[in-house]
Amino acid sequence: MPRILRLFAVLWLAASASACRPDDGPPKDGPVVIGIWHQKDGGERAFFDRQVAAFNREHEGRIRIEPLWRETEELRNLFVIASVGGQGPDLIFGPSDNMSILALTGSVRPVTDVLPDTFLARFDSSGVLGWNGKQWLVADQVGNHLAFVYNKKLLPNVPETWEELLPQLQALTKDTTGDGRPDRYGLTWNYTEPFFFVPFLTGAGGWMMTPDGTPTLDTPQTVEAIRFVLDLRDRYKIIPGESDYNVAETLFKEGRAAAVINGPWAWAGYKDAGIDYGIARIPKMPSGRWSAPVTSSKGYSVNVNVPAWKIPYLRTVLEFLTGPAMQTAMADSLATIPTLPAVLNSPAVTNNPTLQASLSQVEVGRPMPLAPQMRQVWDGMRGPYQSVMSGSVSPEQGARQMQAEVQKRINDTFL
Amino acid sequence: MQSEATNTAERRQRSRFLFWMLAPTILIVLAVVAYPFVYNVVLSFSNMNLYHIRDWKVVGLGQYAAVFAEPNFWKIFGKTVLWTVVNVFFHVAIGVFLAVMLHQKFIKGKSAWRTLLILPWALPQYITALTWRGMFNYEYGAVNLFLGKFLNLSPIEWLTSPTEAFMAAIITNVWLGFPFMMVVALGGLQSIPEELYEAADVDGASAWSKFWNITVPMLRPVLIPAITLGTVWTFNNINVVWLVSNGGEPADQTHILVSYVYKAAFAMYRFGWAAALSLVIFAILFLFTQVFLRQTDATEPAY
Repeated sequence: MPRILRLFAVLWLAASASACRPDDGPPKDGPVVIGIWHQKDGGERAFFDRQVAAFNREHEGRIRIEPLWRETEELRNLFVIASVGGQGPDLIFGPSDNMSILALTGSVRPVTDVLPDTFLARFDSSGVLGWNGKQWLVADQVGNHLAFVYNKKLLPNVPETWEELLPQLQALTKDTTGDGRPDRYGLTWNYTEPFFFVPFLTGAGGWMMTPDGTPTLDTPQTVEAIRFVLDLRDRYKIIPGESDYNVAETLFKEGRAAAVINGPWAWAGYKDAGIDYGIARIPKMPSGRWSAPVTSSKGYSVNVNVPAWKIPYLRTVLEFLTGPAMQTAMADSLATIPTLPAVLNSPAVTNNPTLQASLSQVEVGRPMPLAPQMRQVWDGMRGPYQSVMSGSVSPEQGARQMQAEVQKRINDTFL
Repeated sequence: MQSEATNTAERRQRSRFLFWMLAPTILIVLAVVAYPFVYNVVLSFSNMNLYHIRDWKVVGLGQYAAVFAEPNFWKIFGKTVLWTVVNVFFHVAIGVFLAVMLHQKFIKGKSAWRTLLILPWALPQYITALTWRGMFNYEYGAVNLFLGKFLNLSPIEWLTSPTEAFMAAIITNVWLGFPFMMVVALGGLQSIPEELYEAADVDGASAWSKFWNITVPMLRPVLIPAITLGTVWTFNNINVVWLVSNGGEPADQTHILVSYVYKAAFAMYRFGWAAALSLVIFAILFLFTQVFLRQTDATEPAY
């Protein structure tokens, strides 16, 4: 055999041996490491790190959690790739609209493989989520909804309708230096992302897709919603000319915006920034409907590559991360809505005004569709929405393009 | 007879030695270049996507047909060419200009200037790109504040208008790329014999004439490979365009081919299609490199 072929053969054997290495049990020295990739941000991330550190201290030498933060999109994409390659962390934490992608790509295993029925039975319907007949995610919170967050010093009360609120926001938008640019805005939010457009779409009576995954965006309701957002910027001039997530966060935290539309993941950060904030429902649109955000749970899924011997350790970790003590602490510190009825009905929640306001917003929200087509919906909406906001297309063209772009992405996926 | 046998044994021993010396390099090249490349070729003939990420199969040339049938392909290809040409032009023009300036005898504190001018290149691209993105913000960015305060110009929608966003990415990449060309040109300038300039001075040649007739031809041997490399890097430079435009914003109008591939593969899970497009990019760059190097005689000695 020529030498080069022999070298290939050795290489191949070495690679195969390494790939087929038996996962025969916990390490002989040191603790079992449980890797978690998550997208907990801001104050929630700091809280999570503290909780993990406490767990690691308590289980020193036996189990060690190693968390790693990733941006939401990157988190899902890298996890899928890692998992398909036989690698990746043991757990992934993220919003429930990731779940169908993770299940479809065979990246996760059912949580019922890890957690006993008796444990799962303690959750309400938002706590253990399924798709295609299996349960893939155990949630520690209902916490992916947007709400109207306001600086109480600037805006003491939030009325129920935009009609009543707009004059107040206009009065709060001020140019104190006289350079022609407001130094403070009435409102801000990330208006480059379609996720933040949904409350206006639902408020106008529209929605993104049918239950079977057909987009429903080329409608008069979408046009009305787009017009409303444009009016907030161009007619009432209460929002900045350009605002992505970071700009919106900075403006609100620095008191240069009286209100922001954002979700529970950000609220702890406002407290840390010294803002005395309140939560309210995003007001009713002229149609009389509430500006309803999408609501969804966020939670943990288990990597399909987790070896059998690791499951008892994972169970310990998951019971800690989603159990009553953790959910109570989260509700108290982060104002997240628990998924355990025992915690949801406890004084920690019922006496917490921020949580009650958050729950009130969820009551009028619309559940996030779990179909994998949501990936294409978000991506397809984003471009036309940005084109409308930059003025390069009309609201009617924007709605048509959203429909076409989403449909194109759905079709392209099957190529 | 015995001597011939000894020679053969020596040759064999020598080639065995060479083989084992080269083996680590061969292994690394096989692992990080050959295997991914071959795997990519196979994927480009497959239907690997969100619905067939584990059970994919080879389906023929369908993904290549889909690449060329993609309505955005030619538009993005045109933008990629524009992106590359404009960037490389400014990299070379600014780089050579600064190198020539730094080479002048009357310049004081050369090493300090050199360090200062290399800084954009020395900083991580990620940080520079995100800093520039912040500076391009419509209301709070330094660029618009500068334009308004010192030039009395209206603010520009750098990040929300397609053309301006593309320009913003180009400006950032020009900033990041000129130091490389400057360093290469500085190296080249050191090797130009001083006598050539002295002879030109005796002949009464102007500074411009000396630049065109001595400096430029003598820099060619170092600049042509640098331009070739720069073109390939710029054509495939996903970092800057992706970070400054936040992944192709607004409305996917600021993509170059490589960012389009990245999005198709890692955001939309169209691995087969993305693999086919990446091989099309490879073919374009391979062809360009061959033609450019041949046309410019870059592999020939300068003198």
